[in-house]
Amino acid sequence: MPREIAICGVLVPGLLPIFLGCLLLMVLVDVLIGRYGLYRYVWHPPLFRLALFACLFGLTGLLLLH
Amino acid sequence: MSAASTKTGLAARRWPALAEAFAGEGRTWLFVFKTLLALYLAAWLAMWLRLEQPATAMITVGIVMHPHSGMVRAKSFYRAIGTLCGSTFGLALLCVFPQQRVLFLLCMSLWVGLCAGGATLYRNFMAYGFVLAGYTAAIVALPAVGNPLGVFDSALMRVSEVMLGLVVAGVVSDLVFPERLRMVLRKTAREHFAHFIDFVRGSTGGSIPRAEMEQAHLRFVRAAVELENQRASVIFEDPEIRARSTRMRLLNQHNMAAATSFQSLHHLINRLQREGRDAEVAALIALYRPIGAALTTAPAELHDPAVLAPRLRECAQRLPALEAELHAGLAPGRAQLAFDTGATVLGRFLDELCGYVEVELALRGHVQRGDVERVHFRRGNDATGAMVAVLRTFLTMAALSTFWIASGWTFGASAMLLATIFSGLFAATPNPLASAFSMLAGYALGMLAGLFTACVLLPGSDGFAMLIAATLPLLLAGPWLNAHPELGNIGGGYAIGIVYILALKNPMVYDPAHAFNDAIAQLAGVALAAVSFVFVPRVTGSGWQRRRQFRRLREQVVEAAGAPLEGLPWRFESESRDLFHQAIVHTRPGSRESRELLAWALAVHESGRALIELRQQLRAGRFAVEVHEAVDRAVQAVAQLYRRPDAVRRQQAEDAVRDAIEACAAAPALRPRLYQLLGALRDDESPLATWMPTMEPARAT
Repeated sequence: MPREIAICGVLVPGLLPIFLGCLLLMVLVDVLIGRYGLYRYVWHPPLFRLALFACLFGLTGLLLLH
Repeated sequence: MSAASTKTGLAARRWPALAEAFAGEGRTWLFVFKTLLALYLAAWLAMWLRLEQPATAMITVGIVMHPHSGMVRAKSFYRAIGTLCGSTFGLALLCVFPQQRVLFLLCMSLWVGLCAGGATLYRNFMAYGFVLAGYTAAIVALPAVGNPLGVFDSALMRVSEVMLGLVVAGVVSDLVFPERLRMVLRKTAREHFAHFIDFVRGSTGGSIPRAEMEQAHLRFVRAAVELENQRASVIFEDPEIRARSTRMRLLNQHNMAAATSFQSLHHLINRLQREGRDAEVAALIALYRPIGAALTTAPAELHDPAVLAPRLRECAQRLPALEAELHAGLAPGRAQLAFDTGATVLGRFLDELCGYVEVELALRGHVQRGDVERVHFRRGNDATGAMVAVLRTFLTMAALSTFWIASGWTFGASAMLLATIFSGLFAATPNPLASAFSMLAGYALGMLAGLFTACVLLPGSDGFAMLIAATLPLLLAGPWLNAHPELGNIGGGYAIGIVYILALKNPMVYDPAHAFNDAIAQLAGVALAAVSFVFVPRVTGSGWQRRRQFRRLREQVVEAAGAPLEGLPWRFESESRDLFHQAIVHTRPGSRESRELLAWALAVHESGRALIELRQQLRAGRFAVEVHEAVDRAVQAVAQLYRRPDAVRRQQAEDAVRDAIEACAAAPALRPRLYQLLGALRDDESPLATWMPTMEPARAT
């Protein structure tokens, strides 16, 4: 995947679409976890969510851009 | 633990004043700490990322921070949308009119006015989206007026800074000692459930005085609107609540529907009692008794839906047999018709109560299974009030623009920018005039503090740690003031003022002349936004708006008589309650106006509900043409009465309903609803009684 993407002539970092994609993925994961009440098993749900997002974003970014 | 408490005790003895100042302020200081952490984090990140104006990110944090983390998220969500819309508009505006300052400023003023109108129309967190849409458009376009070619870069920078501020504020308030609104919501919801069940159980004795019913109605409406408000913000905080959101809406709707049926039933019993028809009253109370019995359980399980739901279902199965038995025991004709009416309402009520308890039971489970009916809580938004806000803001901005163009003021853009921010913020506050002036005072104070910091404390400092040391003491006051709502909006103005005039940058630019000029222009902008409320007064809470809301409340009956039936019951229940709630918060409890409003609200609920059910039955069953026509005439006559109540229309409505009852001799299914309507029209405790002929001999049918 290229480092920079041109959208309508504007150069956008390739990480931006990945970031948005991860955000979307995170929403889906969140809906699933919320539906089955799995956050009960987590000590600090917001921290867990942030960490999960960091993992997702880091992993996807490294895999696609490295 | 004990060592720590002795230590505090010691400190309390040594410095009683200090201990007093900190007692009960723990949460406030936690909020101050979180806000400052977010502020400095945003500033540091903005400098590290080499953004142009770290101050924009800091201001964003200052506006968004709120003690409850769910609130921050809700604000941030709408704010992000508003930011994107606003920056796009600002960009487009400058592309279209790069050399036409009159058209440019005209469009700008119109946009800002529309955004302020939107903020007035939606009283929840969507208001922030509108405030931000106006603010970002101004912040993107105005500074670039002198250099139109740089507008794209400027827009990119501003949006990055605002977004950075949003993310930092959201993350900090969510991670660092979060205060969950979810717990508040859960507590409110459970308390409300318990209240409602207690109220239903407690009234098995039969009649409830009208005054008590009015108070109960007031309480239930407040709870219903509050629950909806909290739900709308908590879904941003918590994925479990989000998964429950649809059910919570349904719960609220079932509750409102059950409350309306319950009131209708008691109005009916009260009327029968006043007419001295004891046999029917006794029969209805006997029919009601099993519900009270079903709700009376062991004390520990009084409010446990898992116990109540099966008992209520069982009771609902036994009800028809009891009804038939009691029906047979009454004299045919009038008495049986009155009893059937009560029994229909009671059956409906029990059905809704079962639904309510079952949804509550499902909500308390850990896992949410299956889909439920989607219902919406419809708001009674006030478009005219929003139009006034649009006009006011437009006039403010147009006046500033004219002055800017006429005087060639170098700092006109700053004044415009600040007027934009504050007219949006003022439009969203419940009492703009007072809050506008306290915000103005706060802004002036904040600016003085900022000037002092920038000119005296900062020049000697070096590095980020020193920057924190120099700015912390005076910055601290902003969030602290903000956490004290009794001080008005001084805190809001202060926090924005100090950050704005500090204008932290990396490397820092020291230019006192520029800072003072900017300060004067900004103050002029805020002042004009505040003064505009004197010329075009606020609408929210004014007598004029109350009268119009009152009329709209009555017109809910007209809507119940004419609007398409799909989803009408939900719309009717929620919108009438929202309107009533908006109007009642601005009246003094116990005043004549407040009592009148309550009385009308009860009448509207009873008649509107009866009309909707009548129309539903009419559509579902097959009836003769004459029946259709007679019932339609009755429905329209009642609608006319509520549109413009007077003695003639009341009499016409009563006659039409009587005719319809006669016409329905062959269609007994419709008669209970019509009889209920007639009773509501003839109720001598309802506000319609004013137009009732007093000399007429009392006769029921």
